[in-house]
Amino acid sequence: MLDAFSRAVVSADSKGAPIGSSDLTALRKYVADANKRIDATLAITQNVSCIAADAISGMVCENTGLTQPGGHCYPTRRMAACLRDGEIILRYVSYALLAGDSSVLDDRCINGLKETYLALGVPLANAVRAIEIMKIATVAIMTETNTGRKMFEGINSGSGAECQDIASEAASYFDRVINALI
Amino acid sequence: MKSAVTTVISSADAAGRFPTISDIESVKGSFDRANARLEAAEKLAIHIDRFTSEALDYVYGKQSYEQANKDKCSRDIHHYLRLINYCLVTGGTGPLDEWGIAGMREVIRAQQLPTTAYIESFSYIRDNLNIPSDMGQQAGAEFKSLLDYLINALA
Repeated sequence: MLDAFSRAVVSADSKGAPIGSSDLTALRKYVADANKRIDATLAITQNVSCIAADAISGMVCENTGLTQPGGHCYPTRRMAACLRDGEIILRYVSYALLAGDSSVLDDRCINGLKETYLALGVPLANAVRAIEIMKIATVAIMTETNTGRKMFEGINSGSGAECQDIASEAASYFDRVINALI
Repeated sequence: MKSAVTTVISSADAAGRFPTISDIESVKGSFDRANARLEAAEKLAIHIDRFTSEALDYVYGKQSYEQANKDKCSRDIHHYLRLINYCLVTGGTGPLDEWGIAGMREVIRAQQLPTTAYIESFSYIRDNLNIPSDMGQQAGAEFKSLLDYLINALA
């Protein structure tokens, strides 16, 4: 597993060179944005059930047949598995966001996910839709553009508007999962 | 690769939980020290050749080691300093542990290398680090603690 720092180290090591000024610019930005990144992570961890459970419920509401006998979310045991998976994907996205690198998401979540779903008969289109809703909800909470109350307490108060860049980074991690499934 | 952030994430993942407040605070702590570390890494990258040659001239100037090995010793010192540069960037000892120290004893024993030459070189670099012209106070402290870590592993 890599983070933004160790990613730079691995690429420098392949050249056998020490990490100098030019390579450090991006890392300094990562450090300078640390508070925003931490707030963005808190935006996820303080709203886990809201983001994951609501996304699954939303996806089921759009496809009511899923919870009918013969549907993929019937009986509740399978619906519970679906809720659990939503939360797992969100958890790995939160790790990747904190690390500033997708390797933890790639290695521990995405790798083999499609094959597993195909083998278990999970409909990929529905899984993708649930992840899309999680992405939309996460970005809205992070940037404080959701309707209604403020959804998270960050270290920098009222920093939602400042989380814009980090929110697009978070969205890119959800897109990574989606692209792996389609 | 072990770093301050990946260590936190690994333990959170092993427990199957989201990053907690204490996880996030420990990551924040590593960010707070990051500027000193990155400065040390930057300055070390600039001075790495000079540090290597000065230490080497000192150690081989004492005539207690075979002069024929000087080039190889230079290469090794440079290699270890590069790994220290990586450790300064990651904020952990991962690069030194994984690429420098793991297997080091076996190699040193098989090649019958004089470890004291390395220890003297790194001690020389540590003791002759010029603050603030080489690097700042905080950065120097980060660099020296990694030199000490390596010296202890070699001893």
